[in-house]
Amino acid sequence: MKESSDTRVLPSTPVDRLRLYGVFFFFFAGFLYVIGGLVYRQLIQSNDLKEQSDTQSRRVVLRPPARGRIYDRNGFPLVDNRARWSVKADLASLQKEFRAEYLRLLAAEKAREAVSIDREKLMEDARVRVLQGWLNKVWFVIDETNRNTKGRNWVAKLTPVTAPAERQINIDELRKHLRERRALPFTLVNDLAFPGAGQALTADDGTKSVARFIEQFPVEGPIRLDQDNVRTYPYGPMAAHVLGYVKDTDMLPDNVDDISEVRVESMQRLRYTGKTGAAGVELSYNNILSGRSGWELWTKTSSGYNQTRLKFSEPEQGGNVMLSIDYRIQQATESALGKLKDPQGNLLPAAAVMIDVHSGEILSLASQPSFDPNRLADRVSSKYYDEIEKTGGWLNRATQGLYPPGSTFKVITATAGMRKKVVDWDDVLDCGPFFRVGNRDYPEHEPVGYGEVNLDKMLAVSCNVWNYQVGLRTGIEALAAESRRFGLDAPLLQTISDMETGGLPMTELPYAASRGLVVPDRAYKLRIGAGAWNDGDTANLSIGQGYLLTTPLHMACVAASIARGETRTVPSIIHSQERTGRHIGSVPIGLNADQLEALRGGMVRCVEEGTARVARIPGLPYAGKTGTSEYFKKGEKAHLAWMIGYAPADHPVVAFAVLVEGQTDTNTWGGKTAGPVAKEMLETWWPIAVKANQDENSKAPR
Amino acid sequence: MGWAWLILLLATYPWLLGADLASDALASSSLIFFLSGTCLVAPCRRLKRWQAVLFAACLGFLFEARRPIPDGVLALSLVAIAIFLSSNRQLLRNTPGMLRAAAVVNVSCCLIWFLASSYGSPSPATDLAGQLFLQLLLAGIVGTIGLLPIALTQNAVLDRLSIPPAPDNP
Amino acid sequence: MDQNRQGARASYVALAVFVALWILAPSAVRRFNREAFVEFQAPALHLLGKSRDLATFWEKKSRSVEEMAAAGRDLARVNAALEIQINKFEDIRRENVRLREITHYNVPAEYMSVVARVATRDSSSWWQRIVIRKGRNDGIRPGAPVVFGNTVVGRVTAVHLTTSEIDLVTSPGFRCTAYLEGDDQNHIVLVNGVASNSLGTAKARVSVIPRDYSIPAGQPARVFTTGMGGVFPSRLILGYLDGGTYATQVGNFKESLLVPSRDLYNLQEVSVLVPLHQNPGEALMQGDQFQ
Repeated sequence: MKESSDTRVLPSTPVDRLRLYGVFFFFFAGFLYVIGGLVYRQLIQSNDLKEQSDTQSRRVVLRPPARGRIYDRNGFPLVDNRARWSVKADLASLQKEFRAEYLRLLAAEKAREAVSIDREKLMEDARVRVLQGWLNKVWFVIDETNRNTKGRNWVAKLTPVTAPAERQINIDELRKHLRERRALPFTLVNDLAFPGAGQALTADDGTKSVARFIEQFPVEGPIRLDQDNVRTYPYGPMAAHVLGYVKDTDMLPDNVDDISEVRVESMQRLRYTGKTGAAGVELSYNNILSGRSGWELWTKTSSGYNQTRLKFSEPEQGGNVMLSIDYRIQQATESALGKLKDPQGNLLPAAAVMIDVHSGEILSLASQPSFDPNRLADRVSSKYYDEIEKTGGWLNRATQGLYPPGSTFKVITATAGMRKKVVDWDDVLDCGPFFRVGNRDYPEHEPVGYGEVNLDKMLAVSCNVWNYQVGLRTGIEALAAESRRFGLDAPLLQTISDMETGGLPMTELPYAASRGLVVPDRAYKLRIGAGAWNDGDTANLSIGQGYLLTTPLHMACVAASIARGETRTVPSIIHSQERTGRHIGSVPIGLNADQLEALRGGMVRCVEEGTARVARIPGLPYAGKTGTSEYFKKGEKAHLAWMIGYAPADHPVVAFAVLVEGQTDTNTWGGKTAGPVAKEMLETWWPIAVKANQDENSKAPR
Repeated sequence: MGWAWLILLLATYPWLLGADLASDALASSSLIFFLSGTCLVAPCRRLKRWQAVLFAACLGFLFEARRPIPDGVLALSLVAIAIFLSSNRQLLRNTPGMLRAAAVVNVSCCLIWFLASSYGSPSPATDLAGQLFLQLLLAGIVGTIGLLPIALTQNAVLDRLSIPPAPDNP
Repeated sequence: MDQNRQGARASYVALAVFVALWILAPSAVRRFNREAFVEFQAPALHLLGKSRDLATFWEKKSRSVEEMAAAGRDLARVNAALEIQINKFEDIRRENVRLREITHYNVPAEYMSVVARVATRDSSSWWQRIVIRKGRNDGIRPGAPVVFGNTVVGRVTAVHLTTSEIDLVTSPGFRCTAYLEGDDQNHIVLVNGVASNSLGTAKARVSVIPRDYSIPAGQPARVFTTGMGGVFPSRLILGYLDGGTYATQVGNFKESLLVPSRDLYNLQEVSVLVPLHQNPGEALMQGDQFQ
């Protein structure tokens, strides 16, 4: 026990004491180091750091906000955000694994006695291999077929591999990520609920894969679960043209200036992917919907990975927008349009609009073919893009489609004639099978002609000859002036105030018809170099053919105006309780009571016994006017089927317009083709209106 | 006697178990009665260095076994402390010295345990400073008070094993 | 003296060498070491649990006969009510099985229930655990859900021969999906244990609550398991949302705290639901090889 006897002696020499203190110092330094580590890791994060001038070690990560919701007029969400769960790999904490894999690969390379070793390539391989390993684990957990589970291989063998591309690490994406956003975690699975190219693995809308990951994947480790928002359109392609869709944007949000710690030059290197509206209301109300971006300030390591979050600001969701659309009517409209098919079974291009007669609010606005904005909200495949392009799905036919209005224009011809006093409501004109203008016969669509025709009968049977006569008597100037009075030359949906758009001139729906509307007159024909105006042109215009081009929305507004006995209806896609029912530029129609009565009566007769009788709704008398105009499709003649009108006949509430683009091989005819669509729209609307009326009455004080 | 350290460990274990039982009652506060450091003090006065080292390692591993902290952190720290104490027995010369040593060693070990858990945990805990303070305070108090009965037990065992008494026994 | 110093120095060097070896050692060595110390302690833990049972037994024994009789009477009443319910459920269960057979619907995960006594508890700022007196020998496997009645206690994190460790719902290592009471659309939310702060009650965090969710008035909203993740059976109670007031807006979702519906620290007995078929998560925990 020599040792113990030695210990009796106190350290006497200064050297011994020094050693003792040395040991103490060693321990003290060690503790200091670990305490420092603790403070750094756990405490500093919650405390604000003092301002530091050095931004080299800082990095800002912007967090895109959730966009506001879009509701229908009853408060049903038409556009919402759903939680998206993504799986991300934290590259900083994977560094060690990368390194180990790299060394293993290097050793293998050396063992092979390779002539030249590309170390860059090896490092990349190492990264891919490590990430692939983790991705395999993720798929192993979320894929219910449980590939790799012992004893269940036969199940796996029988089930085809879903989403093979998504099960592999995309090397290009990884390269791009390391180049541009090394600081951010690398996304392994973009959307857990729909991991395979936007498809869920099972029929249960993807919740299961999310839940499986959450409950079965280890909580610790470099693989993180992330939640954010993705735009969702619960009704799929419904009202897609109104709602629009969102796309990625690299534009920095305007509140980035809040982050004073970041110098300008480092901001420029910052990449940001937020969402911005690309069409429809998503685009025109982008300022309201987009919200404010959040940001996080991170320190970064020398290799560029993020390390510690110093400061952050949470993103703020954008404001909501309430549309005037009623999703029930919208649905009915689209399902009615969906029944229109050509002999090959393809959908016929078509459009339909229903507006509130008094407020001008649009209750439904549909255009066919359409697209599913859900499939454009996140990682758009160019295949889908091309598909929409090919079918012509991008065009909003209700507001952008320019068509000759055909016989639906006859209500304007009649109004112009009566206002110019060249014809009165009870005048009877003799209408044969054709009408000669100059040296050309303008035909009636009825081979034997209609004989004696007054205004009422003209509207019911859509007599052409009556209109040729009245049109020529009225003259092109008065006809064109009347068209302008009804606003056929004026762009619609242009009423967003500057305040709402932040000073940008904007329309309620972007690309709403503002260009290309044509109300022809002498000057127009000269301008396009087609020569001087002649009576034949006037005859054509009087039945809505020829140069005249308008949109279904315009014709719905014409119907609404007639229903109110006015000239203009300013439609709006936004629901507001404060609408007065006054329409800018609108004046009384300028017909006496008898004339107006006859005009409306003729339209009602059109539905009851005329060209639109297939669309008759027992118990709901309404006014309508059909039209069939000719157009050329790839050099061949085809027909456009139109129907406009308002309902109910005695005190109008809604007005509508339907347009169907017939093909060369389809038998398209105004009432027959467009009528059933109008009928279905009204049949859906009617019970809703009745119920709303009852609710209103029961609420009223007695 | 070669197995003295193991016998001593078995004799000390009930105290550790007792501490666990007491911690159990404290479970909702997330504090524990930490005694591993204190248990090291008395044996380091009398055991040979290699025995003290084995004793310390087992003590550490016993504590670590059921807790998700990095393997060996506490055990190896205890070993380092055991080496230090057994080479500087003059520090444990008298009762105040032992008490002081118990407090310092216990608090230090507790700190090491705390930090090790903090590093091993997936998410940063909230209000850690307060928790750390409370835990260290508790470790200091428990370590000092617990030394007396533990040292008495251990000394009694060592006496029975006829390990020579420590020099300068107070 | 010098010899002693040198001896100490040699010891430190030896320690340093050992530390280096320890760090480089294969994880199997460290795992074996840990297991060995756990098994060494296992009998003591059993003893600990048994002694607690004994204490409870004597405590119960000291109750008066009248008290016991009253309790027995109440139990009999409850039993009668439950008897009726069991019959009803049995009918429903049969009907369910029949319908599943007709529609070839997936049979949900089946479990083997292992009842276990609690040996000891262990909590810190980073984990809340209990140790139970059943282990690998009793068929318990890591990852299995642990329940008491219809409430979730936690999940098995480590299994030893005769003991197992369970991460409580409030432990940061615990994560599962849940439905909220009063959310008709059944959005899934995330329940994640949070490290408790000193002397406070341990809670769990409920996150990714839809923005427009509001806690139904009247009673605290219950939080249920979804049964979607393949680990927990559905409709088990995880706990309650901590008042309406705490729900805060975090980013685009709301967040709240979950109060466990039972005092998890006073449990005497739990059931471990060991799935009959191994799920992928379990395979991951055991570190199986992939592709």
